[in-house]
Amino acid sequence: MDLSGSHVLEAPVETIWKMILDPETLARITPGISQLELESEDNYKAIAEVKIGPVKGRFEGTAQIVDKSEHESLTLKVQQNSKIGNVAADVFMKMEPAEEGKTRLSFDGKANVSGLLARTGGRVMTGVANTLTKQFFDNFEAELKRD
Amino acid sequence: MSTNYIGQSVKRLEDKRFITGKGRYTDDIKLPGMLYAYILRSPYAHARIKSMDTSGAEKMEGVVKVYTGKDFEEVNGVPCGWQVNFKDGTTMREPKHPLLVSDKARHAGDGVAMVVANNYYTARDAADEIRIDWEVLPAVTNAKAAMEPGAPKVHDEFEDNMVFDWEIGNPKEEVDAAMATATHITKLDFTNNRVAPNAIEPRSYVGHYDPVYDKYTLYTSTQNPHLIRLLMCAFVLGIPEHKVRVLGPDVGGGFGSKIYHYVEEALVTLASKELGAPIKWTSDRSEAFLSDAHGRDHISSAEMGFDDEGKIVGLRIKTFANIGAYLSTFSTAVPTYLHGTLLQGLYTTPKIHLDMTCAFTHTTAVDAYRGAGRPEATYLLERLVETAAHEMGMDPAELRFKNFIPAFDGVNEPGYQTQVALQYDSGNYHAVLERGLEMLGYEDFKKEQEEARKQGRYLGVGISTYIEACGIAPSAVVGALGARAGLFESAQVRVQPTGKVSVYTGSHSHGQGHETTFAQVVADKLGIAMEDVDIVHGDSDAVAFGMGTYGSRSLAVGGSAIVKSIEKVLEKGAKIAAHKLETSEDDLEYKNGAWTIKGTDRSISFGDVALTAYVPHVYPEGLEPGLDFSSFYDPTNFTYPFGCHICVVEVDADTGKVEIKRMIAVDDVGNVINPMIVDGQIHGGLAQGIGQALLEGVQYDESGQLVNGTFMDYAMPRADDLPSFETDRKVTPCPHNPLGVKGAGEAGAIGSTPAVVNAVMNALWHKGVRDLEMPLTPERVWKAMNGQ
Repeated sequence: MDLSGSHVLEAPVETIWKMILDPETLARITPGISQLELESEDNYKAIAEVKIGPVKGRFEGTAQIVDKSEHESLTLKVQQNSKIGNVAADVFMKMEPAEEGKTRLSFDGKANVSGLLARTGGRVMTGVANTLTKQFFDNFEAELKRD
Repeated sequence: MSTNYIGQSVKRLEDKRFITGKGRYTDDIKLPGMLYAYILRSPYAHARIKSMDTSGAEKMEGVVKVYTGKDFEEVNGVPCGWQVNFKDGTTMREPKHPLLVSDKARHAGDGVAMVVANNYYTARDAADEIRIDWEVLPAVTNAKAAMEPGAPKVHDEFEDNMVFDWEIGNPKEEVDAAMATATHITKLDFTNNRVAPNAIEPRSYVGHYDPVYDKYTLYTSTQNPHLIRLLMCAFVLGIPEHKVRVLGPDVGGGFGSKIYHYVEEALVTLASKELGAPIKWTSDRSEAFLSDAHGRDHISSAEMGFDDEGKIVGLRIKTFANIGAYLSTFSTAVPTYLHGTLLQGLYTTPKIHLDMTCAFTHTTAVDAYRGAGRPEATYLLERLVETAAHEMGMDPAELRFKNFIPAFDGVNEPGYQTQVALQYDSGNYHAVLERGLEMLGYEDFKKEQEEARKQGRYLGVGISTYIEACGIAPSAVVGALGARAGLFESAQVRVQPTGKVSVYTGSHSHGQGHETTFAQVVADKLGIAMEDVDIVHGDSDAVAFGMGTYGSRSLAVGGSAIVKSIEKVLEKGAKIAAHKLETSEDDLEYKNGAWTIKGTDRSISFGDVALTAYVPHVYPEGLEPGLDFSSFYDPTNFTYPFGCHICVVEVDADTGKVEIKRMIAVDDVGNVINPMIVDGQIHGGLAQGIGQALLEGVQYDESGQLVNGTFMDYAMPRADDLPSFETDRKVTPCPHNPLGVKGAGEAGAIGSTPAVVNAVMNALWHKGVRDLEMPLTPERVWKAMNGQ
């Protein structure tokens, strides 16, 4: 499944970069994530609850940030396991300065899903991915206003 | 009494229990102390097991044992029943198919652990607590791609994914030479889509070891109990056969998917002894999509050459057949001996060559599915002939008539020797197509189609004619072709002292109505009432031996075995009757349930003879008491039903949705014992064939995930997808079996698929549409109509 999205956020690149690297903030803005613990630098333990169409599951696994290029880009590698199937995703995130101190945040990646999730959720996956993407950016905006 | 059951639409006796919900299926069986098994299946198509931790599951209350692949490493895998050799004579590649994998999973759904608990839900919940560290590997799901250099390998021990390469027909150079003379060549590249069988009853097994008698019982939803016993005892578990009883109670459909010996049958049998309790495993619906063998899945490139008069001069085919990750019981026979040998079809094609490559992929095993190889052959031939007719500007019916093999009855004329090994028994191919066209009103339809087109409506007609090979036999022939079992059938006719008759058949019904059809035959041949006949099947302790039911063999082979035993009963009965009537056997005739001295009214009834056989107080000297005979019938040839299916469709010009307006089926299945049952089988087959053409298709994504493994995602045909079927029959009796029957179980699924696709192509020919991949979904059709 391909994942992609792009949105202009009302904060400078430095702020966005910091927020993404802060586990507490990241946990709040990422849809479904209920817990994100920093295990070692750039390595997180994550727990997510996701409901996709007819399938509902609690995912546990890791998220890892690699190929960091400060204030520019990073790759998020996610491995999440659940009773209903596993998800492995590599997402490349890019931050570009936009006008008036704003930031264009875009991501592009691919998720491999397996098990019951692939078997019964495949049909609705793309729609769900779009919804989750929208939620992510909405949450991000809300988080920016919080501060 | 006078009886006349053969040819009558006697209502099915077994339906009394089926339609009142009283059938007893394997999952209905509850034994004291029974435990329940759940199989944990790989979520990945191809992944190495780096480590597995079962402790979380083992700790759960109610869990008795967690088995992994390591527990069965010393046990043989489930065997393949048919050995096919490479072109160069070397033996096919036959990897071990372990009961549970311990090294790596080779398809999504490969079994990695079995949890046994005191109830099913506990076993299932416990399986969730098993932790596996997987190394996910790249997968390949397409047979042609699997043969590309560098494709991910399914079995590390082989140099590539080829199971074997194989060929049949005339020498390649002769076919090339014939094709060089053609004035027109029609070429099609196509995929015969993979379908899932979806029997109403999911697979279910109960293993029960009894330590007192040191005997195992396996209840199984199988199409052939004795074969399962043979394979399981001789190849997998090494338990002597006399210690194992295999029972197939009521079975809710199979369509081929319940022929094979599955790992779960061996697992519950083995574990039952170790744990000292009966163990049941039942598949859930979504699990069935992953673990029941699928059907079809060929990728072909086919060419048919014609001379300037439209006579076929040659047929040349290259096919890649997907075999899945492991060799299922009959998987190797399907694309080869059950497919290549049918490429003559109904035509006089003088030169034929099939080059077949069977490949392992990271998918569920592919094996026989309703028709098994014949639908793939028919699809290929009938798409080619129909396309050729349109390309050459000829009428598709006319082109068929021109190329049909002339009628022969197999008695006055010899059987027809094909270029692909088989000798057809009898046939009259013109008759079925003529009747089909008559039912359609072909000429009127063509006018209607023209009129409709002027109004912007897309009507199309598709013809398909087919031949299939049923009742695979004789054993000597199939043995020479690599079968690891004989293909005979056994029957015992036991006349009870009161004249009631118990018949023990090795054919095993999974919904076809054997208890009715066989009883009709027995009652008619003995001149007794049907209610005096009991048909016993599906129990390896009760029935001497059996090869089960598949390939439309029940009546042609199993029914013939019953007739052979009846003949022996009547022969011995005549000796008793002659003694009692103080006459010679030669002066007796048997009719209406009694032996009568010819030209007199002196007779003795079947019941009196039966009683005398068991109470032999007044009895011929030297004759044994009893009236009980067995036969093992090994036919001299296959049987060859054939027919013509015609489909009329209308394609919605706005949406691309295909509506079937008419579906005509004229089948010649030889003599018919019960027309209603035959009609039912034709109807069911048509539904499955139409399903393949328009709706069904197992889909894997590029990582090997099965993405439509539920009924929400996999489109089974429903009543509103189907028209009312118009059926008729012709009868060309089989010349070599005593009933003259040929078999009807698969016909509908063989002829209908190409008829539907041909009809859609006919409807859209003027829009430039020449071929489309099945299933012909509205999206695909719409795109093609709109040049996308």
